[in-house]
Amino acid sequence: MKRKIIDTIIEKIIFFCGILAIVFVTLIFGFLLKEGFAFFKEYGVISFIAGKLWYPTSDPAQFGILSMIVGSLLVTAGACVIAVPIGIMAALYISEIAPKGVRDVLKSFIELMAAVPSVVIGFVGMVTLVPLVRTIFDLPTGLTAFSGSIMLAFMAMPTIVTISEDAIRSVPWSYKEGALALGATKWQTIRRIVLKAAMPGIIAAVMLGIGRVVGETMAVMMITGNAAHIPSSIFEPVRTMTATIAAEMGETVRGGMHYRALFAIGLVLFIITFIVNFIADLFLGKSKK
Amino acid sequence: MDKIKVENLSCFYGGQCVLESLDINVVKNEILTIIGPANSGKTTFLRTLNRMSDLNTSYSRKGTVYLDDENIFNMNMEKLRKRVGMLFAMPIPLPMTIYENIVYAPKRLGLVSKKNEMDAVVEQALKDASLWDEVKDRLNSSGMKLSGGQQQRLCIARILAINPEVILFDEPCSGLDPISTAKVEESMIELKEKYTIVLVTNNVKQASRVGDRTAFFLMGKLVEIDKTGTMFVSPKQKQTEDYITGRFG
Amino acid sequence: MFKLNPKLSQKISYSILFCATILAIIPVAVIIFIIIKNGASAITWEFLTSMPKNGMRGGGILPAIIGTLSIVMCAIAVTLPIGVCAAIYLNEYAKDNLLTRIIKLAIVNLAGVPSVVYGLFGLGIFVMFLKLGVSIIAGALTLAIMELPVIITTARGALNSVPYSFREASLSLGVSRWQTIRHVVLPNALPGILTGAILSIARISGETAPIMFTAAAFYVPHLPTSAFDQVMALPYHLYIISTQIPGMPKNIIFGTALVLLMMVLSMSLIAIIARIYFRKRRKW
Repeated sequence: MKRKIIDTIIEKIIFFCGILAIVFVTLIFGFLLKEGFAFFKEYGVISFIAGKLWYPTSDPAQFGILSMIVGSLLVTAGACVIAVPIGIMAALYISEIAPKGVRDVLKSFIELMAAVPSVVIGFVGMVTLVPLVRTIFDLPTGLTAFSGSIMLAFMAMPTIVTISEDAIRSVPWSYKEGALALGATKWQTIRRIVLKAAMPGIIAAVMLGIGRVVGETMAVMMITGNAAHIPSSIFEPVRTMTATIAAEMGETVRGGMHYRALFAIGLVLFIITFIVNFIADLFLGKSKK
Repeated sequence: MDKIKVENLSCFYGGQCVLESLDINVVKNEILTIIGPANSGKTTFLRTLNRMSDLNTSYSRKGTVYLDDENIFNMNMEKLRKRVGMLFAMPIPLPMTIYENIVYAPKRLGLVSKKNEMDAVVEQALKDASLWDEVKDRLNSSGMKLSGGQQQRLCIARILAINPEVILFDEPCSGLDPISTAKVEESMIELKEKYTIVLVTNNVKQASRVGDRTAFFLMGKLVEIDKTGTMFVSPKQKQTEDYITGRFG
Repeated sequence: MFKLNPKLSQKISYSILFCATILAIIPVAVIIFIIIKNGASAITWEFLTSMPKNGMRGGGILPAIIGTLSIVMCAIAVTLPIGVCAAIYLNEYAKDNLLTRIIKLAIVNLAGVPSVVYGLFGLGIFVMFLKLGVSIIAGALTLAIMELPVIITTARGALNSVPYSFREASLSLGVSRWQTIRHVVLPNALPGILTGAILSIARISGETAPIMFTAAAFYVPHLPTSAFDQVMALPYHLYIISTQIPGMPKNIIFGTALVLLMMVLSMSLIAIIARIYFRKRRKW
């Protein structure tokens, strides 16, 4: 009888935790929404998103984040151009060509890569890549969107490789057998059959990689130069949405307009990453079928 | 005397009727075998008897099932399942030792607690399932390392350890070789001394070998039920005859 | 257009794929190498166990190590039980209806929300609304909420890897649902849950943005005495000394980076090795 009571209590605790987790989830969204909307009401969504000037401390203050959206997009696009082809090719090599022992070691190493903190990547980028970019391209500063893209590509790589690799490996063996039986070489099979069948999973991997890059904060803040203007080329300093929050939150007046503008940026980031992840989730669901 | 009495039972999966107004009874200490082609509702019927089908959220039902005059749908589910044990099509030993597999349920249900009680339960259950001689020296090795037939008998022993009144067999030999099948059938016949047995099988010959009575299900309906000897010699319905002579199914 | 011989084209393609793989892993390997090479000389017993001196240009990093450990331990102590319970609830109890599916989807997607957004949330809720101030507890709660979706997702994966038939077998013997979870499901899911937890600890140890405004301080001259103290934290300390302090000796920065990196990598490595070990030993 005593055991029955204990069982019931434990079950109640589990239900409570389940609900608690759900409450937290809604709380985050609700909180950002509340703070963000308070700001939009006062400043307007259009002038926020499409405004070119970010002068949070002048009078009257300007809160246009277009330059940061462009900055985030530029850095993300640059990182994708590097990381996506290399990541997919590496995933193909690891899943289809590498011998089993090599594959396991590579997979473990790539998982380890994912654990390297972004502040460490940022620091190393600052002392090695940034001066290198400055000399090679003969620029006034090496703190550019280009440098940021390169470092972020490394950070997106583990996500892209791991998830693409899973997708490629889950392509049923019978597909490959069919093609091989018709006399295709292994490479032809990989290119025409495997890649096509794994495509939804690979797209999901790319989306998740993009999600990681868009949300990356420390490394971009340390490498991209943080200039809030719309860049004309990838070799100029840019400022991303994440870096703006991280750099300015410490100096704002709590509860003030500037403070709430940063929350509004947080809301925009939240929505962007949520959509990106949602798309990834849709494709993942598709690839499982 | 009726051990189980089913009155006007209909079962649905997601609104689709898979078993239609069934009336059937199971007599104490008999083996009732249920035959029929795939999708005839026989497994749904079996899983309703110990309410395992309640686990599926798209399942719903109408009608009543009595176990010793008590409506099972009003009973506590755990108490019902303790009284009505079930053996699945595939042997499912839990990922623990042979010994632990058998004392698992008695311990959780509070039937035994002392070591010597547990030893006695394990020995008796394994003997009743005619597995004792094969495994008595390795009770502490994993239940998953046994052969398919041994695993299935371990699962029988696991049910016997909680001392049920009815045992439901859901195509228990579908994955087994002929020798293991013979052993499982042998223990079934021994078991009916103490227990009431319902056996679902798609093996018509098995039904003729072990069943006291046989029921033929088709497309969710009970077509015919009779003494096994009678049914296999002179079935009343054309469909039954076609099925047992192998014309379909 | 000329056509390549399929055999040759396969050879060329394989070589390209191989190069891509090298390209994918070399940069991070080089980063790790650079940090070890430049940082190893700074690592002494004194560096690990003493307070910073001369405006952090000398001395050790003890308060940052202690600070990170205390934040991370508090965070995992909060998030692990709640996350595992929530995973059990979602996987084993919740009815499979639209609401449950929405919740599961939301949790998966929350794992991808940027850490700096969680930092904002922590600042707004814990530091300001709940008036915990910039403190270990506020930072720990922020990290806990950030890691909650990850913990729930990995724990659900571990629970799902236990075959459904085990639950059925146990339930069919009249064992209650909780007893089935407690004695059949959880013991078999535990390795997966624990390796997930270690990976989470590694991940949050290296996070900077969420603790920047909720827990971390530029410099604190003493070790923390309560959960409501501000603390120094390794990742934030690394950010500060590498960007904000002019004339900072390079080897101290590299040494700090090395300590942080080793902490994170060794934990991840333990988790990865443990997972391989448990997979091999798995009984089904």
